[in-house]
This record gives sequence, C-alpha cells and structure tokens, in this order.
Amino acid sequence: MSDKRYWKSLEELDARAEQAESAERVSPLEEPIGRRGFLLASGFTLASGVLGGCSRSPVEKAIPYLDQPDGIVPGRAAWYATTCGGCTARCGVLAKSRDGRPIKLEGNPDHGFSAGGLCAVGQASLVELYDSQRLGAPRLQGREATWDEVDREVRHSIEGVVTSGGRVRLLSDTVTSLTEQRWIRRFLGQFPDGRHVVYDPLSSSAILDAHLATHGHRLLPRYKLDRAEVIVSFGADFLGTWISPVELTAAYRRGRDLEGESPHLSYHAQLEGRMSLTGSNADSRVVVDPGDVGPVLSQLVGKVADRAGAELAGFGAVSASAVEEGVLDDLADRLWRARGQALVVSGSESVREQVLVNYLNELVGAYGATLDVERPSYQRQGDDRRLAGLVKEIQDGDVDLLLIRGVNPVYDMPTPELAEALEAVPTVISFSGSLDETSTRADVVCPEPHFLEAWGDSEAVAGVVSITQPVIRPLGRTRALAASLSAWLGEPASALDLIQDCWRDEVFPRAAIGAFQTFWDRTVHDGSARVTAIPTEVGPFDRSMVRSLSGGAEPDNYTLELYPKVGMLDGRHAHNPWLQELPDPVTKVVWDNYACLSPRTAKHLDVGQNDVVLLELPDGAALELPVYVQPGQHDRVVAVALGYGRAGTDRFGTVAPKWLEGKPTVVPGATVGTNAASLASLEGRRRRYVRSGLRVTPTGATYDLATTQIYHYLSVPEKLAPADGKDRPIIQETILPEFLEDRSAGKPHMHHFDSDLWGEHEFETHHWAMAVDLSACTGCSACIVSCQAENNVPVVGKDEVKRRREMHWIRIDRYYRGDEHSPDTVHQPMMCHHCDNAPCETVCPVTATLHSSEGLNMQVYNRCVGTRYCANNCPFKVRRFNWFNYAHDDKLQNLALNPDVVVRERGVMEKCSFCVQRIQEAKHTATSQGREVADGDIQTACQQSCPAQAIVFGDLKDPESRISKMRQDPRHYLVLEELNLRPSVGYMRLVRNRPTPASTPLAEGEEGSHHG
Amino acid sequence: MNKRITTLTLLAALLLGLFALVPKLMELRLPGNDEGFEPNQPIAYSHRLHAGELGIDCQYCHSGAKRSRYAGIPSAAVCMNCHRFITASRSAVRAEEMLAEEQGREPNRVVSPELAKLYTAFGLGPDLLPDPALEPRPIEWTRIYSLPDFAVFDHRPHVYAGVACQKCHGPVETMERVRQVRSLSMGWCVNCHRSPQGAGVAVTQATIDCSACHY
Repeated sequence: MSDKRYWKSLEELDARAEQAESAERVSPLEEPIGRRGFLLASGFTLASGVLGGCSRSPVEKAIPYLDQPDGIVPGRAAWYATTCGGCTARCGVLAKSRDGRPIKLEGNPDHGFSAGGLCAVGQASLVELYDSQRLGAPRLQGREATWDEVDREVRHSIEGVVTSGGRVRLLSDTVTSLTEQRWIRRFLGQFPDGRHVVYDPLSSSAILDAHLATHGHRLLPRYKLDRAEVIVSFGADFLGTWISPVELTAAYRRGRDLEGESPHLSYHAQLEGRMSLTGSNADSRVVVDPGDVGPVLSQLVGKVADRAGAELAGFGAVSASAVEEGVLDDLADRLWRARGQALVVSGSESVREQVLVNYLNELVGAYGATLDVERPSYQRQGDDRRLAGLVKEIQDGDVDLLLIRGVNPVYDMPTPELAEALEAVPTVISFSGSLDETSTRADVVCPEPHFLEAWGDSEAVAGVVSITQPVIRPLGRTRALAASLSAWLGEPASALDLIQDCWRDEVFPRAAIGAFQTFWDRTVHDGSARVTAIPTEVGPFDRSMVRSLSGGAEPDNYTLELYPKVGMLDGRHAHNPWLQELPDPVTKVVWDNYACLSPRTAKHLDVGQNDVVLLELPDGAALELPVYVQPGQHDRVVAVALGYGRAGTDRFGTVAPKWLEGKPTVVPGATVGTNAASLASLEGRRRRYVRSGLRVTPTGATYDLATTQIYHYLSVPEKLAPADGKDRPIIQETILPEFLEDRSAGKPHMHHFDSDLWGEHEFETHHWAMAVDLSACTGCSACIVSCQAENNVPVVGKDEVKRRREMHWIRIDRYYRGDEHSPDTVHQPMMCHHCDNAPCETVCPVTATLHSSEGLNMQVYNRCVGTRYCANNCPFKVRRFNWFNYAHDDKLQNLALNPDVVVRERGVMEKCSFCVQRIQEAKHTATSQGREVADGDIQTACQQSCPAQAIVFGDLKDPESRISKMRQDPRHYLVLEELNLRPSVGYMRLVRNRPTPASTPLAEGEEGSHHG
Repeated sequence: MNKRITTLTLLAALLLGLFALVPKLMELRLPGNDEGFEPNQPIAYSHRLHAGELGIDCQYCHSGAKRSRYAGIPSAAVCMNCHRFITASRSAVRAEEMLAEEQGREPNRVVSPELAKLYTAFGLGPDLLPDPALEPRPIEWTRIYSLPDFAVFDHRPHVYAGVACQKCHGPVETMERVRQVRSLSMGWCVNCHRSPQGAGVAVTQATIDCSACHY
C-alpha cells in the first residue's frame, strides 16, 4: 500500500511518530521573571495606569482644506487606474488613495491583459514609495545637487562627447514606454556613435534570438495559455516569475475551469530540475537535469515529427536516458493529439534549445493558435549578445558616456571587474532612484520617481497601451527619464507633456476614436486602451537552424541552477520588507537564500538543512550557502535563488522588535542572503543561469534558516490519531476521469452528526462565507502581501519568524504527497475560518472574540488581554499574537498604513477579519445609494489580488450568490469537518488532469515511485 | 506605644488627605471621557448665529456626513461662499454707513476682526485682494468630537437612518462655542443601538456587533 498521506516537511516525513508537539501551540515565554523584574514591572504598570487614567484625551487639531478639490471627500478612498512598475510585465493596477496618499494597489479588472489580479511584487511595490532611503534629489560627484547644476554638468559632458565623436551607451532594462523609446532615440541620435543596449537581469534573450532564427524577427511571442489543451513546459516558471506571471496565471486558470456544466481542464506537464512554483502545480512533473534538456527536447522533437510525418535527419538517433522513453512517448502523443491547441514553453537560455521548442510548436500548430507572433509581447527585449559586447567595451575603456537606467549591473552581472571598469568610464549617469551598487559608482545620479508619483506610459504587449498616472505629489525632487533626456536636448518639458506629445503622434493614429482628448481622457480613466498593433513582419518557419542536441549533463558533477524567487526576482525589490518576509511559495523560507539539494544528495553529502556548503564552479567562482533540502529536486541539481545579498540590506537589522533575546535579522555591514549572480556567466555572449561542473563540499559550519513550513500544523496529536493511520482529510483531491464521472469524487467517508452540542445559528441579515478553489490556487502568495497591505500586518524580522511569531493573517500551507523524490504538491491558503461553532470563542475569558450576527468571528482588540487561550484552541492555527509593539518608527513608511484598520498593540491577539472594513464600507455605500449589498460588492483583499481568482467571498443568505452556489457544488468540502466547527471557509477539491492509474505508462511510472 | 502613635498619625494623615481629595475625586471621570470639552477655537465662529439665527443646514458646511465616515470640518472656501460679500455684522456696517453719511464721505469696507482671520488664511489683505506677503494657510481648528483609534464611527448610516445631528452633538444651534455634550462612551452608543426608537428614527434594529465599530 503506497503512503497517500500528506506531509509538509521532510522532518515530518522522517518522524511521523514524534510530530512536533511544540508546533501545536504558540510557544510560551520561557525565561522566568525574577523578583526584582516582577516588582519593577508591577510598579511601572501601577504608576502608568494611574497616570494614564488621570489625563484627558490628547487635544487634536482638525485641519480642513483651504479649498477642497472637487471629487475629494476626506475619509473616502478614491481609486486611480495606473500601471504597475514592479517589473517589466506592466500589469494594470488601481491605486487606492485615501486623503492624498496611496495605501493599496489592486489589479485592474478592465486592463488589457492582466485581467484583475496583482502579484506579490506589485502589491508590495506600494511600500517602496515610502522608502526613506529613496533619493530625494539628484547627485553630482557624490553630493546632493540641484537639477540646474546637474543639467549644466551633463550638457557639458554631452558637448565634449559630440565634438570628440566618442561612444555613448545607454544601458537599460526593457523599456516598454513609447515616450521613453522616442526620447532615447532622439537623445542617442545626436551622437555619432550612440547605442541603446537592453538587458534583462532575468533574461529571455534566447527566446527572442530563436525567433530571429526561425521567424526572421527578434520577438517574444505572446503565450495564450488559455487556448492550450496541452502545455509542456521545460523549466519555465510561468506561474511564478517568468515574463508576465499575472497574465499567464490568469490565462492558465481560464484553461482550467471546473465550474459549470462542462468542466474543462488543460493538461500541464512540467520538466524541470528544481521544484518551481509552476512545477508544483503541474498535472505531471518530470524531473530532468537542466543540462539534459537538450537531448530530451531533441528526442521529443523526433517523436512528434514522426507522428507529424515530417522528415527530419538526426533526431531518431538521439537517445537520452534522462527521461524514460514512455514518458516522452506519452507527451508526444498528447501534443500531437491536441495539435492546434498545444503549447511548448521553455525557460532555457540556450538558443539551440529554444529553436527546438519553436520547431515543436510549429509541428503541433501552436503558432497562430496558442502563440501569437503577429502581436508579440514587448515585456522582455534584452539582448545578451549586445550586453556582452558592451561589457567588453567598458572593460576596454572604449565608452565615453554611459547612461544606466533600471538595471544594477555591478550587482547582477557575473563580471566583478565591471565595478572597477565603470570607474574608468569618463562620465557615468545613473537614473536609479536610490543609491545601489551601481549608482554609488556613477558620476551623476538623476533619480527617477516611483511609479506612483509620476506620469508614464507603456505598450507592454502589442496593441495594448497603458498610462501610469501620479497618485501622490512627488516626495522628492525627482525627474522622469524622458524629462531628463529632453532637458539635455535643450527642449525641457514635463513628463506629462512629453507623453501627450508622443501619444498624439504615435498612439492616437492607431486608435479608432474621434478626438485626441477623448482618447486620452478615456485611457487615463480606464488605465489602458486597445489600439491597432504595429504589424510584425514574420517570415515562414525556417527549419534550417533546427539541429538535434546530444550530450547532456556530466553525471559526476552537479549542475547549478540559478533561479529568480517569487517576490525577490532579480533583486530590485531586496529593500522591500514585505517581500523579504514573504515565505517562498515552495520552501517557505524567509529572509534568506540557500542551496536547494535533493534529499538523496543531502544524504550523500551527509548534510542537512542549515549546514553550510561550499559551491565551486570550474571557472573559480565560489559561494558558501546554507543547505535547504528540497523534495522533488533532481539529485544532480543544486538550485540557488538570485536577488539576495543586495548592498544596504543591513538596514533590516532594526526591523525586529528589540528585546533581551532578540537577534537582529542581519548584522551591520552584512546583507540579507548572499548574492549568487557571481555564479552566473556571460560565457558565449549569453547570460547563463545553468552551470555545469559544480562541486559541492560541506564546510562543517551551520547557519539558521527561518522557514514557516513546519509551523501551525493541522495534524492530529498522536494520542487522538485514528487507528487506521490515515490523515485528516485536510486536502481532498481527485483525478479528472473520476471527477467527470462523479462530481463528488475524492470525498472521504465522513461521520454523520446526529446530535449537536450547539444549537442552530440564526443569521438574519447576512452570513459571510468564503470558498477557495484548490484547483485554481497556484500558491503564488499574492494574497499574503495583499492582506498585509490591507490589514496593517507588521513585519517582524527573521528571528521572530524563527520563534513562530510571523504575523501574516493568511498563510499558504504547502503539502507534499508521495515519496520525497517526486512528490505531488498542494497549496492550501489558510486563514481564519470564521467557524459558527468557533472553539476560540468558548475559551476567551474576557469575550474578546465572539460571533457577529453576520457570521463573522470578531476579534475585539481593545477588549483582548492576551491570554492566548484562543490561539491554543484554534484548530486551524490562524491566530497571531502581538508579542511586541512592532516597529512603526519609520514615519514615512507609516503613510502606507490603512487608516480603516487599527494598528494593533502589544499583548493582543489578531487574525483574519474577512476584511470587515470592506464589508462595512460596502454596506454603508449601499445604504447611501438606497439599495442592498449586491453579490460581488465586497471583495476581500486576498480575493481581489488573486490572479487565478481562486477565492470567492459572499453572502450565504443570498441563494443566488456565487458563494451559495459553490457551497452546493459537490466539489466543495470543509476542512476538519469531523470536528463540527461549521466553518465559513470551504475549499473546492483539487482535480488533477491525470489518467486513471495503470492505464498509461506515465501514470504507472508515477504510481511506482509512490511505493517506497 | 511609640508605634501606635505613629500608626495613628499616619492613619489620620491618610484620612485627612482623602477628605481633601474628595472634591477632586468627584470630578474624576473615566479615561477618554471628554464630556464638557469646550475649547477656544482659532476663529470665534458662532454656531448659534449660523445654525440657530440664520438657520443654515448642518450639512451645508458638514457635507461629508452623507458621503463619508467623517462629517468633516468645512474648507475655508465654504465660508467664502457668503463671506466673500459679508465682511462684518450688519450693525457694524450700519454704524460705518451712518458715520460716513455724517462725515459726507463714501463708507469704508468694514471687516470684523474674526473674519479678518479667515481672509488672512486665504492670503488676502485688508482690501480682500491677494497679498503676496501673506502665505495661504489652512485654519487649524481644535477637534472636539474625537474617538479613540480602536473605534470606528461612520456618519453615513446614522444620517441615512434619520438620526438628528443634535441627538449626539447636542443643541449646537444654541451654542456660541461648541461643547462636547456626550461622553462618547461605548455604553452610550450601545444603549441607543439597543433601542433605536428612542433616537426618534424609523429603524427598528441597529447592529450591536462588536465588528460594527471595532476592527
């Protein structure tokens, strides 16, 4: 009998018998308090009580506007459509502005491609607006200057270069702004030798180059995952970090819809070396060393070409042992059967592999169906070859004027010599908004504003243009790139004028609308507009570059895979406390990066989690990192996250509360995590994140990682465990064929309750409830940051997280099932269940937590005395205790706080409130409009941000509401139903698109691995 | 013996002290209870005149009550709707007119000293024209009705339920200077929510959920 139980960590798997009892409770304060301490404390309490009681409330000032602008009502939020600047995907956002300051970002449902969700990075980019370390003024030779001084200095340099005919280079990340492109062209056009070099720290250059080879045009196609019946991904983490995760997650979800009469589930196979977020969601996950992907792809091409009857030399002969023949046969069958509705994607940086991927897509008819090359994406335009050329130019001292925008090459390039070489460039101008590794080496820093305080525009995918509009007056003397360039060209103008000029000339003629002002106003209001795409000339598919790849990874050495982590990406958000404390969706580690090893490899090297290993590459690059043992990883693959080790992250040394035993998150002078970019390479003029020939040696040292994965168990205490050894049915799942036969497939046998200790609960007006679709949830963690922003959840620092004191109101439990080498993964969002028979309510001695007439489990902070009984009695482990007054010292960052939610103080319990402030607001709005609250009026913060729309919230008293219908769905189930808690949160069973076991070789192989 | 004397003396002192404190203790109220708070405001604005004698609707100035959680204090521009033209009391204007007639000259513009503060806030000189020397500055009123941060009060449902402003704010139209007339304690809120009919509104039920105010 294979073990069908779910587990969260290897420790749990190893020692099921001794399930950490300590995880069952919020750990008590262990240090006893001495007599003197007690007297001191009691005396102080008494004195402060007396003093506090005697005083009147502090006198406050009420300062109204002198002249209140139209449309602004103090205390009411205004929403502005704008465009996210968190990464180059440029999703549409709605910025919530309360009394003149943005306090929350949400996805814009009307946006051209992002479809209403917003990822964790986008959510968290709000707090970067209020970063006190952002530059408030331009800098000249290391000191603050005025814009006039800077402009004089820069014009002087420009004149020198123009007369000498020197080389000018603008190094930037992908520029999607039409206005910026226009001004970059004009600016560089004045020099005899001016060039724009684009690179993406997370490069997709190989995809563009492969399309140049096969289609004659360097382009990034748009991936239409919603039209794909079969998706085969070679290491592309499209649900997590790849190109445009929100858009791709939404499309992926549209292709996997189980509601309604005709359920529909695409088939997703992921072939990868590490456990990515996307891989953890795949219907079928095949573990492949990234070094072996070439031969595996060639073999698959051969098999599909066979079925297509295409004549192809050299492919039949390739045999790769990396993947079982049967698995590839099955994939080839599925791809071929679904031709016209199939899609192959790859995250590889090898052009030759990407050419094979293109050919596969051509064979299965993906172009024009699931891949759009006529209206491509502009979200990644980086060109690694030109980058390598520029690095050589800089190192040879051939560049006279270097402008750097949006990238941090000193940090993220694998060439440490670059930092010194930059010093030798006569003039370096940086547009960075803060002093980072690169801008500290620049002669002139012209800080750009945060995207929430500036005008901007973007055409991220062909035919969808969007506007960025300011939501707050700029906090510093910053200036947009286009405004700087125009000033240096002697035509100074504001960013808004420049954008409007550009749009009048370039965008408006493409729009089918009468007047420019109408078009402009409508676009600013909506956030985006559809216009005619500039046609991309694509040639017929050119097969000449298609070559089979042999070879593969060396079996004796390890392969290093550098990957971007959800939230941290390429490191541009390393100064964001929300993202640093966001648990990685798969490993659940916070505040660090680490070397992921497979369980077998860890055993082989005799290391465990927290042991430090030395990673060495043949070219001499080396790095010491703590080990994290990752189930489901390839035995030869060592995976390390990029984006850590940014200079200046020791600022987070003070993020944790100060107390006797508190340890700083990072010591002064150190960094959060370690920069792994030095292990990448630019070899062969290509950024390589996969390196072969890695040696791993244990150092004997240890380093503590903080991971939330083993906290807050829902497991059964040993004494109470059922005799059959089965798990509680916390996760329920089934497979598609069974689901199609019986919509309630996967439902375990349940006890029926004849009698109830509790009476029936009457809800007269509303009964709020939530449902989470486990088939839709990808675990992307956008909801966690959204909740943090909405509900003023504090950041507590690494040491506090290690003490199980993280404060997130919603967490995502990640379960594995099966053996540790190729487990199935499930992500289950877990928040307060607002049980009708709530165990927390019965134990509170001061009735600080009790039930509302609308089914909410209320937490009254001002009544709570902090006994923590409720947290102990909560079976879902969703209550969080304020052990401290968490840092709100940063006055500027406090501007991001939501004024509608109390900032909790030390000693009180808190938890998910179902965003009661939104419920109240919706009710009051409905009242003032003389109507009842309608279904869909209230969206909780987690629900709104979910790119996969996995969360539904509504009123059970309304039989027509979506939530009521979902509750009736046979796929709906309650967690811990056997406890008769009557929770208001339910889940929709997970359905995997897998054949019934033993019907295909693939399933057999998988089942076989379950037996251990 | 000595000990007993000491004890007795101390006890007597304690009693005397307590006796002396009695009037003070009688004044004591619960923390946060600011009933009777009647601060001086930067401009001696009279609610008695505007809301009482002139009968201006409360929501003409406090227009947020219907639209927002806060009723709000009107922006100075709202005052200017009238006081662009009315610069002093009628009697002061009349007196100047009579004086001018006596002296056979055109009457001067009379500006009351309180309204002068309003014009200064706008950066207007005595002639009511912008004075470049004056920087426009909003008026800093002293807030009277203020709840602690852990309690949320929204004006909208109360206004729409038909609760009269005076129910909570007292007879403001009779007050020269506004005074807080209620304790704003939770008990006072809840009592009304338990039996809203007492407030003279048509609503039969008002919520007494904690989460209506505390979140």
